[in-house]
Amino acid sequence: MQPLIELNSVSRTFGPFTALHEVTLSLPPGRIGLLGPNGAGKSTLLKILMGLIPPSSGTGRVLDQELGGDGDSEGNWRLRRLIGFMPEADSLVPGLSGVEYVSLAGELYGMPRREAQRRAHEVLSYLELEEARYRQVQDYSAGMKQRAKLAQAIVHDPPVLLLDEPTSGLDPAGRDAMLRLVASLATDHGKSVILSTHLLADVEAVCERVVIMAGGRVRGQGTVSELCARRQDRYRIRVQGELPQFRSELLAREVKLLADDGQGEWRVAVPPGWTNLAFFKLAEASQAVIRLLVPDDETLEELFLRTVGT
Amino acid sequence: MARVSIKLMIRRRLLWGLFALGLLVFFFFFYAQYLVVWITNQLATETVRFAGIPVTIGNLTKFFDKLALNGTAHTFGNFIWYQGYVLVILLALAGSVLVGNDFFHGSLPFYLSKPIGRWHYVLGKCLAIGIFVNLLVTVPAIVLWVEAGLLYDWKTYYLDNLDLLLGVLGYGLVLTVTLSLLVVATAVWVRRAVPMVMIWMGLFVFLRMLGDQLGREVDPRWKLIDLWNSLYLCGLWCLGAEHATIRPAPQPEFWEAWAMVGTVCGVCLIYLRRRVQAVEIIS
Repeated sequence: MQPLIELNSVSRTFGPFTALHEVTLSLPPGRIGLLGPNGAGKSTLLKILMGLIPPSSGTGRVLDQELGGDGDSEGNWRLRRLIGFMPEADSLVPGLSGVEYVSLAGELYGMPRREAQRRAHEVLSYLELEEARYRQVQDYSAGMKQRAKLAQAIVHDPPVLLLDEPTSGLDPAGRDAMLRLVASLATDHGKSVILSTHLLADVEAVCERVVIMAGGRVRGQGTVSELCARRQDRYRIRVQGELPQFRSELLAREVKLLADDGQGEWRVAVPPGWTNLAFFKLAEASQAVIRLLVPDDETLEELFLRTVGT
Repeated sequence: MARVSIKLMIRRRLLWGLFALGLLVFFFFFYAQYLVVWITNQLATETVRFAGIPVTIGNLTKFFDKLALNGTAHTFGNFIWYQGYVLVILLALAGSVLVGNDFFHGSLPFYLSKPIGRWHYVLGKCLAIGIFVNLLVTVPAIVLWVEAGLLYDWKTYYLDNLDLLLGVLGYGLVLTVTLSLLVVATAVWVRRAVPMVMIWMGLFVFLRMLGDQLGREVDPRWKLIDLWNSLYLCGLWCLGAEHATIRPAPQPEFWEAWAMVGTVCGVCLIYLRRRVQAVEIIS
């Protein structure tokens, strides 16, 4: 499958500050989460992917278009026609109604005026803003503003959507609604979605793949299930009896003791190929009794915190 | 973008108030020009009697003489000079509504994430501002030119004074380019309407007073810091006026005014190139 994004050692500096450091990525089309704390370089990466700013070094392709060159070049305009971008900032034009705002976006994407207006009405209806389309955008609620921003990103029916913190400032109900819309755009309408966020739950709700960034570097990437499975080696175990001997037996077999509450309850990480039965065999040999044995998988949140903490 | 910007402006009531003021200035010149010709042509005698007091035609039209309401280069120059008072306030409004809001509300990524460049953005905004400049200044000046032709000998006036029409268009172009760039640049800098008005008052009132004072007492070149005066000189050059006829004298040379206006445009372009970007520069 043709990769959606291919980056080779892409770096971006602003004066002495390095916002992106040697980022190498190859991502297929689909739902991709760009996860990282504030200042991780996500927004800079999005701007490079849109051709708004060139990489300081390295090469890359997005949708088979070469990255680089001035943001005002024809090649980058061609790239931006294929991408719908929902910025994190308010980015509304005060004084315009919802339909005028979305229609303006359509015209800026190169659509004829009538076509842009027709699409604006369609898209606003799809995003449940039909009733509010003639109200001025600055009077919208936070959820409506986010949907208006999403509407201007999809008005020209692009194959790829770049969404920068789409649930920012939304209440739980609004957030769920927005995530449902984004997921529906990907699954029902075949859009590739790149979701930049610092909220893990958003990534878990929408994305198939995740790229974890911190300090301008990629700290980890893979499918969400892969990344979770990578750390399905944790167990919580409560033991009675000969604890020191049982512990020695475990350590001798490369089982790592991650936590000990001093009351016989441990958190351990087992080596590859380990089976649950091995715990019981060792306990029996050490004259210990296992009272509790439960998998204690690392959540995506733990993975994220551990990854960005490194 | 220009169309939407115009739409945003015409929804502001203040704009219509300012246009009404601009129309007052225009109608003053329009009827005064007619009045001067009427007085000169209709009265056969040298004096007219007001309440029994004979007043010479010269005294009657003395007030209007200062405005040179005779269809010459100075007529249009003076009209645009006085229209400038309204224009400056209108441009402060336009700058904050059309450009300042984009920066204040973070709308710039909305524009720049589309397949357009930053210069398209600047051009779109400048076009919208230019339309208001021309509606307030150039179009009424052209109407005055047409009126002057009808008041004098239209068979010869229009052909003989075609260069005046071109001069009016040239003056309008200089104002459009310079003021629209200056408006966009100052709006990018200060963003909100009130600081914008303060900056413009500083540019067009404080610097004018300072330039006048220093121009009289030190060197006429100090008048160059009065941008409206420099634009006026460029406009009079376009209209083909003699430098010696410009009042109040002394004035800087035409080329010095052009250099000043060019410098202002250049500084604005450099500033806009740096500030109108998809990313904030971290320094």
